[in-house]
Amino acid sequence: MIKFTESKISAHHNYLVNDLLTPGFVVGDPNSSDAFYFWADLVLPGESTPHISARIMDEKGDLLLELNGSQMGENPGKCDYHPLQGGFKIFRRPNEPLLEVLTQNFPRGHMTRIKARLFDEKGDLRVEPLGESIQVHGEAKLVLDAPFTPSAR
Amino acid sequence: MNIVVCIKQVPDEPTIRIDRQRMTIIREGVKSIINPLDYVALEASLALRSRQGGEVTVLTMGPPQSEEALREAMAIGADRAILLTHPAFAGADTLATSHVLASAISKLEPFPDLVLCGMQTIDSDTGHVGPQIAEELGIPQVCGVNEIILEEDFLMVKRLSDGFLETLHVDLPALLAVTHELSSVRHLPFGALEVAFSEREVTQWGLEDLNLREEEVGFRGSATQVWKLQSPPPRREGDLVTGSPQTLVDHLIRKLEALSILDEEDGHE
Amino acid sequence: MGTNNALNGVWVFGDYRNYFQNRVTLQLIAKGKELAEKRNTKVTALLLGEQVQQYAMEYVAHGADVVIAAEHPDLKEYQVEAYCALVAQWVEAFQPEVFLAGATSFGREFFPRLAKRLGTGLSADCVALEVDPKTGLLLQTTPAFGGELLAEVVTPNHRPQMATVHPGVFQERPHNPEAVGRILYPDFNVLPQSRVRLIRSRRQQIRKVNLEEAPVVIVGGRGLGSKAQFERLFELAQLLEGEVGATRPVIRAGWAEEDRLLGQTGKSVKPKLLISIGTSGALQYTTGIQGAEIIIAINRDPHAPIFRMADLGLAGDASAILPLLLEALRKRI
Repeated sequence: MIKFTESKISAHHNYLVNDLLTPGFVVGDPNSSDAFYFWADLVLPGESTPHISARIMDEKGDLLLELNGSQMGENPGKCDYHPLQGGFKIFRRPNEPLLEVLTQNFPRGHMTRIKARLFDEKGDLRVEPLGESIQVHGEAKLVLDAPFTPSAR
Repeated sequence: MNIVVCIKQVPDEPTIRIDRQRMTIIREGVKSIINPLDYVALEASLALRSRQGGEVTVLTMGPPQSEEALREAMAIGADRAILLTHPAFAGADTLATSHVLASAISKLEPFPDLVLCGMQTIDSDTGHVGPQIAEELGIPQVCGVNEIILEEDFLMVKRLSDGFLETLHVDLPALLAVTHELSSVRHLPFGALEVAFSEREVTQWGLEDLNLREEEVGFRGSATQVWKLQSPPPRREGDLVTGSPQTLVDHLIRKLEALSILDEEDGHE
Repeated sequence: MGTNNALNGVWVFGDYRNYFQNRVTLQLIAKGKELAEKRNTKVTALLLGEQVQQYAMEYVAHGADVVIAAEHPDLKEYQVEAYCALVAQWVEAFQPEVFLAGATSFGREFFPRLAKRLGTGLSADCVALEVDPKTGLLLQTTPAFGGELLAEVVTPNHRPQMATVHPGVFQERPHNPEAVGRILYPDFNVLPQSRVRLIRSRRQQIRKVNLEEAPVVIVGGRGLGSKAQFERLFELAQLLEGEVGATRPVIRAGWAEEDRLLGQTGKSVKPKLLISIGTSGALQYTTGIQGAEIIIAINRDPHAPIFRMADLGLAGDASAILPLLLEALRKRI
């Protein structure tokens, strides 16, 4: 028998996570009111930019930043947002990269690479760099079949 | 360097005619030749031998008359010839053919440094037998070789593959399937053909010599079978025009006008 | 229908080198889908290499239900032995019933070795593939006897049933950005050093012979008789704003360079007009031209197979026809 890892793959857009392609993924629980989460939503045909929402903490478990649909929300950590060609990069002061999201365009498809080092409310490392992309730890749904609908907060 | 060259006796192209009623080749009047690319492989082996020394053995699997091809190969310069022939070998696909050839090569003492064959044959054209022999012998292969450069105990070869000109390092022993660019003209030494047919010896090996069973060879040892042979169906319902050259040209010009490749009156399209 | 059921259907080897000129994998996925539907199963595409994600997405967009992908820097260059070792493992694990590959240079040396390793049958350069309604077997139609006839071949007792197909025989399905498929990443071991190592690779210079884009193609065969006759085709091509192609016997005779070769081991073209002169019509050649909109053939022999492929046939001597044709065209253009 052969051991293998399985995922889904969309013709249009995929994220690279844990060394595999996926149309969308979630780490943690976006429904929570104050816990860590990182949510990369499906990008549908017609769109080409990813939708990233997250609540990110520092190593001590204190809230750094909230992202909603790739836009900055609450920012107690005073992080800097820099738009990039094909994505964006967020720096923690002082000058320490926190999160980078870059979308590569193929002739008829797109792939988003994420680089990040993210902690949750307990100070545990939940997302860290792995090669070209990231490795996630803890509670996560690595394959989203449909755009994720968070319950009303 | 000991080299084995696998050759095949094939019908000479312009003389192939088909009996479309019985769906077979008309055998009368058909001239047989060494497959052109195998001839190239043979020339290459002799060139390598003249630089490195060693022995060139030619091998073929076929009916008894294939021996002619082997004798011709010896006249050109091969040191040794082996005919693999047995009624059970008939009807073989490339799987069974490569099994017989590889079994024979395995029997050779010492095991060859290099196995050469032509990229494809003019009659069956699959190009499969070379790689399948290499797989059975457990040796690496390179197909489409158009240049061979001898090094200490490996080879450098060049070939064109899907639009890329590649230079490759190949560990020996290996199998190379060659293309016509490797060719150089070699003339038959005067009287050599006569000597090859009258004095030289051709070794003959059959089923038992190769330690093979009937189920492994020929039709029984094949994985593919031909269910049906047919003439290619007409793909287009075109008119066939006959007549004088001028008539034909007029017809063609009218067709080019109809296609708007030419204007109906004088002038550029 | 469990997870593994779909993986034992129709497999297509992903040959992605020269991706935008070489559409054969997409064509085979389309045909594979048709065959799979008749066998109530799915299409799986295989990818080995480095950074192959975009091809995985393309294959799904064009109809693959599943992709099996092995990514590793050591797999970056196409290589026969390493690919054979991995693919054979997967075939043994999942037991597909059909396995197709394009008859590219690589396919033609990789697939036979793989078939031998698996102890199964392989037919080359198929011009048609169908499922036999009675037996469910794959009917593989290939050229036989130097291309004069078609043989229908089957692999009754061995699996998978393997076949290579020349680019241009089948048609790909349109790109569908809404498609979603499964992707499997098998665990595999770091491969031992290859016994054939690529030292240098460079693209063959694309000279001015751009047959694939020419709206008019004039092809010369051995029936023209001599290199001098063949070379008259260049003026004809120039007058019609086209390009000159050749058959394998012409290349072998040294009348034209390999770049001009049309057919199974050469180029496939789909011009608006193709004029085939002095060619008998062997299948190895005609598979390269069957996509042309209009084919006009000139051959001395009224029974030459080329006439079965032509929209207009002229049975006559090319050496007499050509000068008259050139004269008539010079006056017009």
